[in-house]
Amino acid sequence: MTLKKRLGTTGYYVVSTVIAVVSMFPFLWMISTSLKSQGAIMSIPIQWIPQEPSGDAYVEVFTKFNFLRTVGNSLFISVSYTVITLLSSAMAAFAFAKVRFRGNDLLLKLYLATMMIPTQVTMIPLFVIMNKLGLINSFGSVILPSIFKPFAVFMLVQQMRAIPEDYLEAARIDGAGIFQVFRKIALPMCVPTLSTLAVTTFMESWNDYLWPLLMLTQREQMTLPIALATLQGTYNPQYNVLMAGSLVSMVPIIIIYIMAQRNFKNGMMAGGIKG
Amino acid sequence: MKKHLSAILASALALVLLMSACGPAASNPTNTPGNPDPKPSQQQDTPPADQPVTITYSNYNASGGNEETLQKMYEAFHEEYPNITVEIETIAYNDYFTQLQTRVSGGTAPDCYELNIENFAAYANKGALAEITGVDFSGLDETSLNAFNVDGKQYGLPGKFSNVVLFYNKDLFDQAKIDYPTADWTQDDLQKAAEAIRALGDDIYGYYQPLTYNEFYKVVAQFGGSLLNADKTEFTINAPENVAAAQMMADRILVSNVQPNEVQMGGIGDWDLFMSGRLGMMPTGIWAFNTFAEGCKFDWDITVEPGKEQKATHFFSDACVINNASDKKEAAATWITWLTSSDKAAAIRIEAGWDLPAIKDQSTLSAYLDITPPANRQAVFDSLNYLVVPPVIEDYSLMSDIIGQKLSAAAAGTLTVQEALDQAQSECQAQISLK
Amino acid sequence: MPQKANRRGGPKKDGLFTAVPFLLPSLLGLLVFSLLPLLVSALISFTDWNGLDQLLAPGFLQEHFIGLENYKNILLGAELWKVLGNTGAYIIMYIPLMLAASLLEAYLLSSTRRGVSAFRVVYYLPVLTSWVAASLIWTSVLSPQYGAMNNLLALFGIQGPGWLLDEKWAMAAIVLVSVWKDAGFFGLILLSGMVGINKSYYEAASLDGAGAWKKFWRITVPLMSPAIFYVLIVALINAFQLFPQVMIMTDGGPNGATQVMVERIYRYGFRYFRMGYAAAFSWILFVIIMACTAIQMKAQKRWVNYDA
Repeated sequence: MTLKKRLGTTGYYVVSTVIAVVSMFPFLWMISTSLKSQGAIMSIPIQWIPQEPSGDAYVEVFTKFNFLRTVGNSLFISVSYTVITLLSSAMAAFAFAKVRFRGNDLLLKLYLATMMIPTQVTMIPLFVIMNKLGLINSFGSVILPSIFKPFAVFMLVQQMRAIPEDYLEAARIDGAGIFQVFRKIALPMCVPTLSTLAVTTFMESWNDYLWPLLMLTQREQMTLPIALATLQGTYNPQYNVLMAGSLVSMVPIIIIYIMAQRNFKNGMMAGGIKG
Repeated sequence: MKKHLSAILASALALVLLMSACGPAASNPTNTPGNPDPKPSQQQDTPPADQPVTITYSNYNASGGNEETLQKMYEAFHEEYPNITVEIETIAYNDYFTQLQTRVSGGTAPDCYELNIENFAAYANKGALAEITGVDFSGLDETSLNAFNVDGKQYGLPGKFSNVVLFYNKDLFDQAKIDYPTADWTQDDLQKAAEAIRALGDDIYGYYQPLTYNEFYKVVAQFGGSLLNADKTEFTINAPENVAAAQMMADRILVSNVQPNEVQMGGIGDWDLFMSGRLGMMPTGIWAFNTFAEGCKFDWDITVEPGKEQKATHFFSDACVINNASDKKEAAATWITWLTSSDKAAAIRIEAGWDLPAIKDQSTLSAYLDITPPANRQAVFDSLNYLVVPPVIEDYSLMSDIIGQKLSAAAAGTLTVQEALDQAQSECQAQISLK
Repeated sequence: MPQKANRRGGPKKDGLFTAVPFLLPSLLGLLVFSLLPLLVSALISFTDWNGLDQLLAPGFLQEHFIGLENYKNILLGAELWKVLGNTGAYIIMYIPLMLAASLLEAYLLSSTRRGVSAFRVVYYLPVLTSWVAASLIWTSVLSPQYGAMNNLLALFGIQGPGWLLDEKWAMAAIVLVSVWKDAGFFGLILLSGMVGINKSYYEAASLDGAGAWKKFWRITVPLMSPAIFYVLIVALINAFQLFPQVMIMTDGGPNGATQVMVERIYRYGFRYFRMGYAAAFSWILFVIIMACTAIQMKAQKRWVNYDA
């Protein structure tokens, strides 16, 4: 029995490590390539570890665009986007899960059905709408769509349904209004799911590419993925620069993720999907 | 419940109509769509010249290396015209046209912008561009100007031009003990030299000229063929001359293998292959000069590309155009004229080695000849005698994608050359209506 | 007051008044950012709009309306079927591989052993990467001569294929990259289903002498079927909308082997100036996705277990 258990543990670590290596492998390659000179990238045999590591690619990345400004833009957009998504979705989820009204189910289904719309279908009309709203070249055009995020609504409905009616009932008997019930009871009880969603939403906004590209044309408004794309020259790909840029663009989100990790784990558990 | 849904849909529909009917004046409906006739630019819709005005200029050419050069040009311009402020937007080539098209259709296109030859015809024909009037662009080269002239109206000014010459690695020629290429070479001479260099080693290749649409239409011209008939009413993609041209290009990959196939290339760029010293010859743009001067650790030079029945060399030019919906056309015209034809802009461009200004004045250009390597810069100008212009049609991108895809199948050996061109011919006929 | 009505459970659901303020922001978003553009795009699909003339300018419809022409051309042409074939090939490879990989990751992460939290971060790294960065990295990794992948295979004496440059392998390479990128995300969703399972089931199975393998298939998988179902729905929708990795890594090539729906839509709309055609194409895609989702919803009754 103990032998079997030990074998199981060994097997567990072997398999986990193999998968970890597979996940990490492209990143290691990215780091290695970013430290090579353009010539070393194509040496045969290839250099797994750069023989003469050089930071030139990083210097080029940082001279090509204003890093702090770009990160600042990305942060501002992603944080606003996330906050609005969470608030708006939690409100909608509360209505769907805890208020009975005509068409409740149908409307929720309509919300979910919009997840199937390919973004390309709506891109041009949405651009025209943003233009009519006078939002082109303002962060608002990138942030505002966050008020409608069916995925977040769906996750939160699941969680809110799990809140026992008695809790809400008790609060109401104590004289709390419906908004207070939402704020003091429903929201706190959804913190796990909210924190999960915070990370996924933040990530989605942080990595979004095509939409900000269309909306924000001014250089000072560039977000990280767009800045990364401008590193691709018109003619000749410089992989060391592209890899350095990729790494630089990943660092902030990795830091944020590791910081949010603990909450995130609990959130995913509690927001568990059950029928 | 049904009632609710239909109410939602109805109100959405109402919103559509509302927005389309009475949107605020953020956009400038100066002309009805489909009408390519712009208003004369110097009419009441432009402010007087002495009032400060800010215009936007969008471009992709400066991205990935020449942002500062363009900025320098602008600063020189702004000294001369302190009233005109230009907001420069530099966007990566891959995304430039997506963004531009969205902005044009949304009515928020920049006042002036850059277009490549592939997109120029479509934009001009669809009324997105304003005729350039009221400015003096006589200093610009005629050939380049003509490329952007539609029915006698000048819709674009050539911002720069560049062409393609044959680059060769002198060291590999020395090792193979053969003579350097000259301007008199034909494709047959090139083939012999390529084979001699290929014999130097497994990893060493003689020549690289990818079987792409761009290279194809040029080689076709060298073989005396063309992709369209003379009045551009009929595709002639699978004409015998064209098949012979493509066959020669494919054989170099599949038969003599003097040229690496896709897998032998291994996903690296052709420039990188040349710079690694393992490629004897390649035709490529003169915009490679700076990169090669920095990156090549061997002797190299250039010459005019070899021909077959006749010589034919590439000519690439980008246009600076004015948005037909702009209300600052005059300032925009002043800026793009200065940018394309002023001596100062030309001097900055040459100094930075950023292609060639499309100007007539040879004395400004002569500075260009003094820079080495390559030693034989004269070949750049000699090549201009054999220019072929791509067959500009409205559906240019669709045509070039169809042909390109079939050619790549031929290069991989999936289709024979004849099959590939036959299929390209029939697909182009089916999908594109020529006028 | 409302809850009193609820209590009685009668048909009188009069909470609409209460619900509206909560729904208002997202409802507005639904209208303006989703339904309205959807309607406009439906309108565009009945036109020959080139994408350059101003959309919905006065006289827009009179000038451009062509009825069902776009739909007719797409459905009667060969391209749609070829592209659907490519998408099908992607789905057939991607869904099982992704499901296997994410199930395995979820299983490993559900353990309480030491170091699990480190593994969780590592498994999630690909998810954190943007598609732009991930595609650039993998293009470099998969370069046949100078990339890490084939040189790694060569250490084991395997001659790697041309990956993205080879017509036969390009789609497989796209699948590989997509599984790498998505497994962590779906793995976490599955994990949430897995940890929700009541421990007593396992204890009972242990008493019956069931091994880990048997427990996994007899208890874990059936009891987490709602989560699996959800993952399948989302993954299939995503698979039909496959785009950024194709655009950056292969651009639809080689020889059209990786041309997929959204790639075509993008190209017709933004490269070939056929926005009406592209809009019709995207509506066909929308209908296909809805049909597939509806089929999955129907089929779920046979295998999804909501009693956990």
